[in-house]
Amino acid sequence: MAKLPFTNDIRTLRFLAGEMTQGDLGDRVGVTRQTIAAIEQGKYSPSLEVAFRIAQVFGKPLEAVFQWETGGD
Amino acid sequence: MSPAILKSARQVADDDSGDLSMNFREKTAWLNVIAMTVAYIFYFGLLLSGHPAGREVFPMLWLFGSIAVAHAITVIVGTIILSAQAPKSERARADERDRAIRRRGAAAGYYVLLVGMMVVGVYMPFVESGVPLANCGLLAIVLAELANSVVVLMSYRRGWHG
Repeated sequence: MAKLPFTNDIRTLRFLAGEMTQGDLGDRVGVTRQTIAAIEQGKYSPSLEVAFRIAQVFGKPLEAVFQWETGGD
Repeated sequence: MSPAILKSARQVADDDSGDLSMNFREKTAWLNVIAMTVAYIFYFGLLLSGHPAGREVFPMLWLFGSIAVAHAITVIVGTIILSAQAPKSERARADERDRAIRRRGAAAGYYVLLVGMMVVGVYMPFVESGVPLANCGLLAIVLAELANSVVVLMSYRRGWHG
């Protein structure tokens, strides 16, 4: 499976947001815990809607959660 | 780092443990693939060993019917057990990743079924009885369903970038 051209800081943001678990974040975003784990590990590219919902949960702009990797296609 | 922060970090790590653990839908996909493989290896194994179901209509209907019912009961009972064990949040609705993976599996299964039906069509003029044709079609359906399930399972394990 090709590597995604972007990374994310969800794990760090969860920790900074009062030790939020993947399950808690998943419940608030409307996806399963496994989907949050897959997004964190770069195994799943979320839809724009889910990406915005994740950013909204942390009160951050989208680019603070997901970063395009330099040299990515 | 203070002990409190370390404790908090461990707590988060514990809550996230089993990142690669299977969700309810992945477990049901495993159940489907195992039940189907066992049931139809048994069925086609009997046909290859000379069971009359390979040549005659009623033995075929009885054997296929019995195996299909046993397969269905296994999947239904297994799904009920898995559903009872799964957290409520996982049982509720398939999320966007589940749906994307399911679509990918269905697309793979469709192509296998298409090729299988073409093979059945080519085979048709060379047989007089409908029983071998029905078994050939059944094999195509089983292979298509297995392709579907294998793609679903691989997508859950290896990732899906939609």
